[in-house]
Amino acid sequence: MIKRLIVNASYALQTSKQYQANKRFFYNLLENDRYRYKKYIDILMITLIFISVAVLIREVKHPVNDYLLFFSTYIISIIFFIEYVLRLWVSSSVSDIIVKRAEHDSFLSRRISLSKAFVTIFKVKIRYILSVRAIIDLLAILPFFHELRLLRIFILFRVFKLFRYAKSFQTLAGVLATKKFEFITLAMFASIVIFVSSVLIYVMEANNNDSPINTLFDAVYWSIVTISTVGYGDVTPITSEGRFVAMLVITAGIAVLAFTTSLVVSAFTEKLDEIREVKTIEDVSKLKDVYLVCGYESVAKEVTRKLLKNKHNIIILDADNNKVIEAKRAGLMALNYNPGSVDSYTKLNINISKQVKAVLCLRENDVENVYTALTVRSIDKDIYVLSLLMSDSNRKKLEFAGINNLVYPQELVGLMTKELVGMPVAFEVIHQLRSENNNVSIDEIAITQRIVENFTTVGELGNKNYRVIVLGIYKNNHDRFLFNPINSTLLEVGDFIIAIGYKVFVKEFELHIHSKVRYEK
Amino acid sequence: MKNKTALIFGFNKYALEIAHHVKDNAYAVKLFSNLDKDMDEDEYEIENFDLSDDWNSLEENIDVEKSIAFCVLGDDAQNVFLTISLRAFFKDLTIIAIASNKENASKLSLAGANKVIPIVETTADIITNILELPISNKVLHSILFEENDLKIAQIKICENSNIKDEEILDIDWSRYKGIIVLSLMHEDMSSEFIYSSKVRHHILQDGDTLVVVGYENDIVEFKKLIGSES
Repeated sequence: MIKRLIVNASYALQTSKQYQANKRFFYNLLENDRYRYKKYIDILMITLIFISVAVLIREVKHPVNDYLLFFSTYIISIIFFIEYVLRLWVSSSVSDIIVKRAEHDSFLSRRISLSKAFVTIFKVKIRYILSVRAIIDLLAILPFFHELRLLRIFILFRVFKLFRYAKSFQTLAGVLATKKFEFITLAMFASIVIFVSSVLIYVMEANNNDSPINTLFDAVYWSIVTISTVGYGDVTPITSEGRFVAMLVITAGIAVLAFTTSLVVSAFTEKLDEIREVKTIEDVSKLKDVYLVCGYESVAKEVTRKLLKNKHNIIILDADNNKVIEAKRAGLMALNYNPGSVDSYTKLNINISKQVKAVLCLRENDVENVYTALTVRSIDKDIYVLSLLMSDSNRKKLEFAGINNLVYPQELVGLMTKELVGMPVAFEVIHQLRSENNNVSIDEIAITQRIVENFTTVGELGNKNYRVIVLGIYKNNHDRFLFNPINSTLLEVGDFIIAIGYKVFVKEFELHIHSKVRYEK
Repeated sequence: MKNKTALIFGFNKYALEIAHHVKDNAYAVKLFSNLDKDMDEDEYEIENFDLSDDWNSLEENIDVEKSIAFCVLGDDAQNVFLTISLRAFFKDLTIIAIASNKENASKLSLAGANKVIPIVETTADIITNILELPISNKVLHSILFEENDLKIAQIKICENSNIKDEEILDIDWSRYKGIIVLSLMHEDMSSEFIYSSKVRHHILQDGDTLVVVGYENDIVEFKKLIGSES
């Protein structure tokens, strides 16, 4: 009966959307570094830790306000306790283990053995409880029992909790962990030297009345101070034998120190690229309106230079590491990932539909561009993809791959020469408007609710006062371009003004129509 | 009889695109190649040339002043050499050259090309425009390539034009419905934006050219109203 009840309850929890959503929410909040709001919880916890340490320090020589003491002892402890319980909860799923066991047993037509499930649950939970992090979390709660004077010192364990919240500590620990074997060997060597030298110095010096080394503790203290090359000088050997031991320990100490330094440095050097990559991926997850550029060749270099100049977010993916290095030198965010592989986008942890504005396939090779476009399309059907077309015979293939816009340089040159020959002035004027190195430029100004509230018609914009030509209005609702609109043309939210003028004046004009109270009838 | 000809040097995709497009402008097209393998091409009539050639034979058949040479050789160094040798021989020939990048573009200009198209920069310009200003890019594209009735035109102010001797700032352009005056063009073909401080106080004279955008009918109407010729 009870067994059935537990199994049913587990199934209910497993299938409850609300329960799973809540659990996922707390998991994200506490454990998922990529969750947007986790950092706020981290900041709160760090603040609480510093408050309790500050209270501890103040308490040593000064009276502390009762409320503050209450807050530090009880409230913070309770918050940490809740955090501990939540972490224990989200660390593994009890209902999942029971459901899996039930399904396993029913599949094999056996009686459901809950005891086995409970053993698994116990093992999983105890593994979490005994992890270093969980132990530190638990110790941080202990100051709650502050009446036990000794337990107050556990407030300092709260400082260790900082490791949990500060990412750099974790990176440091991760880097050092790669040299675990070397560090253990070094520690063993140092321990043996300390042990042998402590015993030796004790034997040599303990019976000498003038020597400050009287106990084994003094001997160990002297050894550690000496091997670390700190050498306070408060405890020194006075016999010749003792000094001989000191010489050996000092020599060993230099070796240990040099070895430790080189270990740390080599660990960091080896992991540097990986750390940078992780950092780049972390940065990528925070970006919005990204231009994802696949391939960093001549046209891509020029396009990214222009986009970067206009402060757009750009990510470069290229399978060739030399090109990635070149892109990084140009100040771009670049990763040595193959843009034609779905795995690259998974590793990049980017949400294409939400974060990416456009994917640019700018390799100067149609085969590669088709492959990349199809990869992107398999991830997101609606994302805007622009590609270079290197040979007109491949046009249909690229269109079939779902590319929204094809840029074919040969055709561009052909069209340009046609205009250059037929309408040289039109060509020059329009080319100047498009060129970045010209003072006069064309700009698009989006009509917002704020603008509509102050300017209802084109005539009210007052563009002439700003020496700006309104070439036309693009009516978004009707997908129509109204060239040279008459003054009474109504402005609607979502429309775009196509303005031509000196860059400075266009900026001024834009500011003018965005500002609130400039409207005069 | 001497022809107005488009002389295209180099046989590649650029050459074919150019040949295809300039045909529309009533140019006779002549393709030249310095590679022997191109001579076997059946579809096109290609003449052989050598970079060390002098160009006497060319002058016999074509009207150099009205003709245009396109230097589209695949090798940048050869393209510069070709440009400089054409310019040395024909002072008045219009030379349009393509360059793989800006650096080569400046070398081609120094070699005497009238107009250089740097392929990479131009392609990048178009791509950035498509991305950053999609609407205006479309509008400019349609004006430039006449995809709808909207056109850009050059209008010359003549002796009896009724806006002659008027200061640009004083002219109420809204009288001329439907057109937008973009810039004023000087005799050397350089143009100045209509709102630039230099042009604002310019007094329109015989020979000045206005660059206007508008629908075809409105442009014709505008010409009539100001009494000008295109």
